[in-house]
Amino acid sequence: MKEKGYAMIWKIAKKEFLLNLMTFKFAVGAVACIVLTAVFMPILAADYRQRLETYNGNVADNEAEIRNVIVYRNIRHTIYRPPAVLSAFSAGLEKQLAGSAKIELEKVPELSVTQRGGNPYLPILAVFDQSLIFKIIISILALLVAYDMVSGEREQGTLKLVLSGTIARYQVLLGKLIAGLITLSVPVIIIFVVGLVVLLSYPMVALSGSDWIRVGLMLVASLAFTVVMYQFGLLFSSLARRSAISMVLGLFIWIIFAIVIPNASVHLATQFRPLESPEKRDSRVISLKDDLANELGNVKVDSSGSLITSDERDAFGGYYAKRRDIYWLNAEQKLNSLTIPIKLRYADKSLSIEQSNLNSFFAQKDLARMLSFVSPISTYENTMAVLAGTDITSFVDFINQVRAHRNEVVEYIRSKTDNFSSASFFAICSEEESAEFTRLFLQVHQAKDEQAKASAEQALKEWERENPVKAEPLNLQDFPWFKYRPSPAADLRKAMPDLAALLIMNVVLFGMCFAAFARYDVR
Amino acid sequence: MIRQIVFKEVLENLLSLRFVLSVLLTTSLFVVCGYTFVNGYGEQSKDYWKKTNENLSALREESNQLYKVAFYKQGIYRKPQSLGLCAEGFEQSLPNFFKVNAFTAELPDTEGQANFALPHFSHVDWVLIISLILSFTALVLTYNSICGEKEAGTLRLTLANTIPRHKVLLGKYAGTMITLAIPLIIGMLVSLIIIVPSKDVVIGGSEWLKILILVLVSLLYLSVFVLLGMFVSSRTGHSANAMAILLLVWIVSVILLPSFSRIVFDVIYEEPTEQELQRRLKEAREEIWDNHERYGKNAGSMSNNLSDPINNPPARARLQNAVTDATNQLLQEHHNRWLEQALARRNFACLSPAVIYQRACEAIAGTGINRCADLYGQVKLYRVDLKEFIRSRDMEDPDSLHLIGPERNMAYSWRTISHDPVDFDTVPKFQERDLALGQSLKLAIWDIGLLALFNLVFFAASFVSFLRYDVR
Repeated sequence: MKEKGYAMIWKIAKKEFLLNLMTFKFAVGAVACIVLTAVFMPILAADYRQRLETYNGNVADNEAEIRNVIVYRNIRHTIYRPPAVLSAFSAGLEKQLAGSAKIELEKVPELSVTQRGGNPYLPILAVFDQSLIFKIIISILALLVAYDMVSGEREQGTLKLVLSGTIARYQVLLGKLIAGLITLSVPVIIIFVVGLVVLLSYPMVALSGSDWIRVGLMLVASLAFTVVMYQFGLLFSSLARRSAISMVLGLFIWIIFAIVIPNASVHLATQFRPLESPEKRDSRVISLKDDLANELGNVKVDSSGSLITSDERDAFGGYYAKRRDIYWLNAEQKLNSLTIPIKLRYADKSLSIEQSNLNSFFAQKDLARMLSFVSPISTYENTMAVLAGTDITSFVDFINQVRAHRNEVVEYIRSKTDNFSSASFFAICSEEESAEFTRLFLQVHQAKDEQAKASAEQALKEWERENPVKAEPLNLQDFPWFKYRPSPAADLRKAMPDLAALLIMNVVLFGMCFAAFARYDVR
Repeated sequence: MIRQIVFKEVLENLLSLRFVLSVLLTTSLFVVCGYTFVNGYGEQSKDYWKKTNENLSALREESNQLYKVAFYKQGIYRKPQSLGLCAEGFEQSLPNFFKVNAFTAELPDTEGQANFALPHFSHVDWVLIISLILSFTALVLTYNSICGEKEAGTLRLTLANTIPRHKVLLGKYAGTMITLAIPLIIGMLVSLIIIVPSKDVVIGGSEWLKILILVLVSLLYLSVFVLLGMFVSSRTGHSANAMAILLLVWIVSVILLPSFSRIVFDVIYEEPTEQELQRRLKEAREEIWDNHERYGKNAGSMSNNLSDPINNPPARARLQNAVTDATNQLLQEHHNRWLEQALARRNFACLSPAVIYQRACEAIAGTGINRCADLYGQVKLYRVDLKEFIRSRDMEDPDSLHLIGPERNMAYSWRTISHDPVDFDTVPKFQERDLALGQSLKLAIWDIGLLALFNLVFFAASFVSFLRYDVR
């Protein structure tokens, strides 16, 4: 008996599947999806390639520059975030946020907008990605396939015939659900396959093992999402008597999910949880800067005895001292050993201010996300962005790694320069050299007569010839180079709640469909 | 006879579920739009006035010496527009802050905090509701207007009478337009009712006229979709098929096309980067400084003591002015490239009636990207005015060297620009001029023409299709 039940479900599923395949709406929807994917995936891939090239160029320039640094003070390189290879599937915040952070002693890097420097007029148009095809076209296709599943059969009278047999209602419903799943998985899988084939045909695209897991989960999420939308259609179909009504209901719920909720939730979140006023925020930053200036002002170092200035240009727009007198050198050494720790401390303090701002940003974003949770389309979008590694959390992860790297760099410089007190922090002349140079220099300037001056000048020249200025780049053998390590496990964990939400939605919707269908009047 | 058909259509629509749903949905959105606009506008204009007054009072302090007025970097903010209610024009993410003194207007900047953690979203304004929700409703109302009647068999009955086909078509068109105008007008009225009593938002005479024009343009836009729906409906035998085609067309033209055009152009065009601009600026400056003798003897060197023989004030002023001119020129080019790229993307997206409509509404309401660019143009004109003012005032001071150059140190220590106090009331202040109605209409006329063209094409198409429609 049980076996027969399964067979029955299967038979219904098969019949529905075949019927669906032949329909016009399915053909239109599926062909549109596939054509769009085939046309736009190459563009998305080309866009990725461009960003990857820019990234590689930036990284190479930066590394070349860092290898030219002459004194430790000028190690101020920039760290770039590699573009996410799966951004073609979900663009997320990839084009909104800055994928770079500068390493400085005075400042701890923090998330920022890419806007500065970029074209500020571009936000007038939205960003396109593969998930748009899913969330817009596939979702509406699912509704279109489902809307006449029950009410349409009632209108045709076939539902009566089916139910007059021994088959239970839940079996019919299950059969229809399976049919929908199979029907819709055809375009979904084709889109994934076409998309991946196009993406992989680009030589610079290489998917690692964890990327494949991500793609697999994206497929699961897409299927789960499609079935959610299908079940919405099924639910309306088993609530309405006429298929025209169920279609209208489906279309309106779709426009609410796709247009109203994603826009209105963000809009409302900015209203309900406004950000702190910029004045208040700036005032804290300013007061911190004042404190810093005060504390730096308290550091008194006598540099009045300095005689000669000879600074040269170094990498990253910095300068180094070439040949200076010993008074200045000692004063500068003392100044650095006192002020740099203060600056480091204030960098941490200003980070905590920045983070309280960011927290208000995140709070707003979380509220928007909570409000949009009603819409499976928003939930699906989130899941895809997390899985593609383009949502905000992956940027937070990047910036955390950059911060850890900055700490390493600070420690590196600290260890190399004896707690910022050594001359190599800012100058290429050693103390002994400088002392000797100062002595000879003073001999020239304090010479009593012409003859003494001439001989002193001669001695200075001699010494300068024997000790030429050696501006050599730093030896960076044990420099802690930055290596971006994406954390797939953590990303997958973050995607789980949304993925689970999609699955739970499925179960709940099936319950509702069942309740509605069990009471459906088939006449 | 047409009247009868119109009447029948309107009544039928009014009683349908889709009409009820669309009225509920659009009205509630218009309410949300009205309330959030009132809140946001109040805060924005408070903020705007505060910052503007801060800027003016700082300028007043500087007016104790003329040269200080010339060098003071004024911060000019974008004023919130009361017609942002109708078309916000993505102003939340467009530049809103301009820094200018008598010599240079810096590139537009975005001041304050846009929350970058939020996903890209459209402000809920009239344009969003009409271009997305109501255009969708238009399709839902019309997808079965012809093939549905064929399926029901009523089309045969209608046409069995003496009524010609074009009258049926016109009747249906008019009926649907009237039905569609109901949620449109109700919604607009509701949001205006929310706005008008609030004391922050002032809607004057010309604004009312603009709103009226916006209503007409909205109707024109919706009529495109009504005609499209009727066209597809008269090409297909089944209403379900008509719906499938219409949905596809709607999705592609309203949702996908705008974002397609962005990605396509992101790949084709190379974006002018900040580094490139800085490099070009540096090169231009170095070129001038390396050839400083071109501007006169000793132009490249300066000491604070005017009687020092190495000083050559006129040459120095020429050199510094050349640097500023080159900078201004490069900034201008950079800005033009930004603007060109953004507009190219949008012009490409103008295959979509929704983008055309958006652009027309922005032009009429005086918001959006064109307004930002125009504002920057006004800031630059203001800079010229200010410089002219400084020049004429400077002439009155016999102690000044009358060399209006952008080097502050020169003006300070050599008195190349007068140090006399200046009456603050006579100092020109920046005042944003909104475009007059005629000018904004001129901007929108192309878009309105395009919408009319769409209308015409779809009308002709649906007319021909319906004439040949097989009603069996």
